[in-house]
Amino acid sequence: MGIILGYISTLGVYFCIYNIFAFGLNIQFGYTGILDFTVITFMAMGGYMAGVASLGPEQPGSGIYYVLGLIASRRLRSDYLAIVTLAAGSIVLGLCGVIMAICWLVANRIYRSTFGRTMRAIREDLDVAEAYGKHTFRVRMTAMVTGCIFVGIGGVLTIWFITALAPAGWGTSETFVVWAALIVGGCGNNLGAVVGSFLVAVLFNEATRFLPAIPAFPSLVSEIRNMCIGGLVILTLWFRPQGVVGERKARFFEVPLRTESREQVRVPAVVASGS
Amino acid sequence: MRQPTAVESRGVDEILAVHELRRSFGGVRALTGCSFGVERGSITALIGPNGAGKTTLANVVAGASRPQSGQVVFDGRDVTGRPSHEVALGGLIRTFQISREYPAMTVLENLMVSPQRQAGEKLSTVLFHPRRFRSEERRHLERAVEVLAEFGLYEKRNDYARNLSGGQKRLLELARAVMADPKMLVIDEPMAGINPALIERLADHIIRLRDARGTTFLMVEHNLDVVERMCDKVVVMAVGQTLATGTMAELRGNAAVVSAYLTGGVVDVRAQG
Repeated sequence: MGIILGYISTLGVYFCIYNIFAFGLNIQFGYTGILDFTVITFMAMGGYMAGVASLGPEQPGSGIYYVLGLIASRRLRSDYLAIVTLAAGSIVLGLCGVIMAICWLVANRIYRSTFGRTMRAIREDLDVAEAYGKHTFRVRMTAMVTGCIFVGIGGVLTIWFITALAPAGWGTSETFVVWAALIVGGCGNNLGAVVGSFLVAVLFNEATRFLPAIPAFPSLVSEIRNMCIGGLVILTLWFRPQGVVGERKARFFEVPLRTESREQVRVPAVVASGS
Repeated sequence: MRQPTAVESRGVDEILAVHELRRSFGGVRALTGCSFGVERGSITALIGPNGAGKTTLANVVAGASRPQSGQVVFDGRDVTGRPSHEVALGGLIRTFQISREYPAMTVLENLMVSPQRQAGEKLSTVLFHPRRFRSEERRHLERAVEVLAEFGLYEKRNDYARNLSGGQKRLLELARAVMADPKMLVIDEPMAGINPALIERLADHIIRLRDARGTTFLMVEHNLDVVERMCDKVVVMAVGQTLATGTMAELRGNAAVVSAYLTGGVVDVRAQG
């Protein structure tokens, strides 16, 4: 029972972290149309920064564990301490959840704002947005940086959670997972990012871990995993190109129309029926 | 930045003046010293045979393309080689030869993007002062609905712009430009490929905008009947230069203009212009 709970909370942490990655990529690609194929670089930078920051008090491991450990070891006796270390796992999950919720709120607020609308206009047509007085370079730069900050936050959480980072373990295929999550879930919709993270990062990425390892080909399972995710992306693009949860139509509160501002030009019947 | 020169001398209030613009793409010389002025509050047509450099001129004026030499003065400011968005913020909006709506956004959203210098376009405002742009949004929304009604697109406000018909896209393009509250609109072939009834309708809208808001229009156009009916002044271009300017009636008698239209402009423009 304990193992299953531990496993589920581990999955929960990964789910939260992948959600944050997907929000970040959504701001870049889904909102603004920036093709960022190096998502994981910024995750690694966030992770590296978190790692360096936690090295300060000559204590290996992360800052949060240091603080937790400090409180726990000063104030608790050994048996209670053991319980607290068990609880720490769920605290990390809770922390990830809270941070994810904040990221979700921020990402959604940006989407619904005037700024988000300008971002989408740039995604739709860069030249036109520029011709309408939008400083497209600045908006795209802001989007890129904001997305990278999100991904970096995800990276910090990753490091806090797994407490180790091997640069070789974070390459193209990890970027690919985030992209796949966003495409499968639906670009331009943060709910899509959540659904995609669940389907791709948690379900697909984790389900394939239960495939029996073949001793002669140790890397076979991870290759199969990538192939499965690739297949899922192709299927999505084929049957449901907007993703499982596509971008929602913008809704405005209805403004009553004053009758005198109806079109003043007489409408010829031919045009009215569609030209 | 150079001072506006050789531009104010003509005695009329010119909102736009281009002076000796030159632009070539590799070996193709698209503009070879083009000069003319556009009077404030006028509807000026820019006509000329294919390849005369009309679209290049529109691009250079709007800042989408840099001239190699020459000067563009808009509303008393030298905007030569300034980036598009700066020119647009100064009040000059251009539309494109093909309709380029924001396809995956609704008609209403297409309009809501246009207002310039919106407070809600700053990330810090969005995150920390959301109230500051809510009232602004409301104001823009009321305006957008009004503009849509003027253009007969009110019923379509919640449709994706990509689902509009070709004619409706043209109307949307114009409505969207109006939303930006421009001093001047440079419209590139607004009448190309649309039916005569809609041409009438667009022409009426353009004249109405000029009369009601005082918007100046520079219109690249091929349809000479439309030009004759709508435009106060006509600028004729050929092989990258201004061949003649005047009213349509004056130009009909101009041998160089007629010849340019028949021969594609391979005449000695300096001798006759």
